[in-house]
Amino acid sequence: MKIVVFACNWCSYAGADLAGVSRLKYPEDVKIIRVMCSGMVNPAWILRAFRQGADGVVIAGCHPGDCHYMVGNYYAKKRYILLKELLNFIGFEDERLKLLWASASEGKKFAEEMAAFKNVVENLGEQEKLRWKE
Amino acid sequence: MNEVEKIREELKKSGAERIVAFVKKENEPREVLAVLSQKDIDKVTFSPLSVNNPAKLLMQLNGKVAVVAKGCDAMAIRQLIKEGKLKRENLFIVGISCRGVIDYRKLSKIEKLSEIREVRLEGEEVVLKMRNGEKRIPFAEVIEENCLYCEHPTPVIYDVLIGEAREGRKDFSDLEKLEKMSREERWEYWISQFERCIRCHACRSVCPLCYCEECIVDPSNLAISPMSTAEDKASYPRLLGKTVNAKDNAIYHIIRVLHHAGRCSGCGECERACPMELPLRKLERKLEKVVKEVFGYDLNEDIPFFSKLDMLGD
Repeated sequence: MKIVVFACNWCSYAGADLAGVSRLKYPEDVKIIRVMCSGMVNPAWILRAFRQGADGVVIAGCHPGDCHYMVGNYYAKKRYILLKELLNFIGFEDERLKLLWASASEGKKFAEEMAAFKNVVENLGEQEKLRWKE
Repeated sequence: MNEVEKIREELKKSGAERIVAFVKKENEPREVLAVLSQKDIDKVTFSPLSVNNPAKLLMQLNGKVAVVAKGCDAMAIRQLIKEGKLKRENLFIVGISCRGVIDYRKLSKIEKLSEIREVRLEGEEVVLKMRNGEKRIPFAEVIEENCLYCEHPTPVIYDVLIGEAREGRKDFSDLEKLEKMSREERWEYWISQFERCIRCHACRSVCPLCYCEECIVDPSNLAISPMSTAEDKASYPRLLGKTVNAKDNAIYHIIRVLHHAGRCSGCGECERACPMELPLRKLERKLEKVVKEVFGYDLNEDIPFFSKLDMLGD
């Protein structure tokens, strides 16, 4: 399984770091990409990740109201809902896309959520619909 | 006084330097948009085959402009005003309460277009003035599918309104069939549609709301010089594959449609321009539904959808 996480620099990335520092275990399939804000995650990046073979994509950002840039995570949520509904409409498994609010102190939550998400993705099997195939 | 005469008179009264209106094509019943001055006002016509959206043209014009707009055109114009692309004070809008337009593809299956001289609406029937004689066909047979679910047949902004105000339809019954299908069936349906897409990008070029100067689908926004090596070019950031492949096409259409969420005016230009006749409006309609039902946003609000952030709570 390949899970791509777009984690915001100020909360979720620090949260993931905390999970590592406190030696919590979470699935090794998780690949974290640090972005400055969850609001900068372009839906095209998510689709690109699926195209390149990701089985699941997570957008992780600060809790609403805690955004370092005031409103970035509101944009993220709006884009997330639109993309999810549209993916579902064209028949793609929209469970493969997840939005996660995790603050810098929630290392435990981050690890748990990742393990739970991996389970979900594993039940769905490998993502074949948008993956590049020869 | 009939509709066309009324339109001409209102355009004359507006005193605008430029007029964006429909003129007749040669040897065809169809009409095209043209930028005219006051002296060619007699060329202006209007019929159920005046389908195109003038909003895109307006963005390229300066000074006072008079424009003939149907319900959906007015939606696009208002959206562009909201986004600061057009100025309301520069526009004189002759609004037309629209009954729907004719799909020329459907019409050409019934009658050869070159044989038809003129088209007009009479009650529930379309009267085709042919080279020899007249022919009547029911309007319901040739009406554009998009118009059946039109929410704003009466322009939302206008300076003068021609015709009586009409009620639009507010339901999303056209999506029901697809939404009832299972996920796999939907995927089969859409991938078979996207397979036909030839990525001509006509849907993007024709859309009045796709006005970005740099587009995500263009090969690269970075300069390529004769010095750049193949490796350089290959490593340029690109989000979308260049191949005409059903999956890449799917991604292209998802991205295109996402950029129109809460903005789409519903003119159906994308479907009309599509050489492969893909059901592109269905994707836009789905987002219209989400915007309305999940976000509770009304297109008539003054603030653009993407700038409104207080609608979701946590």
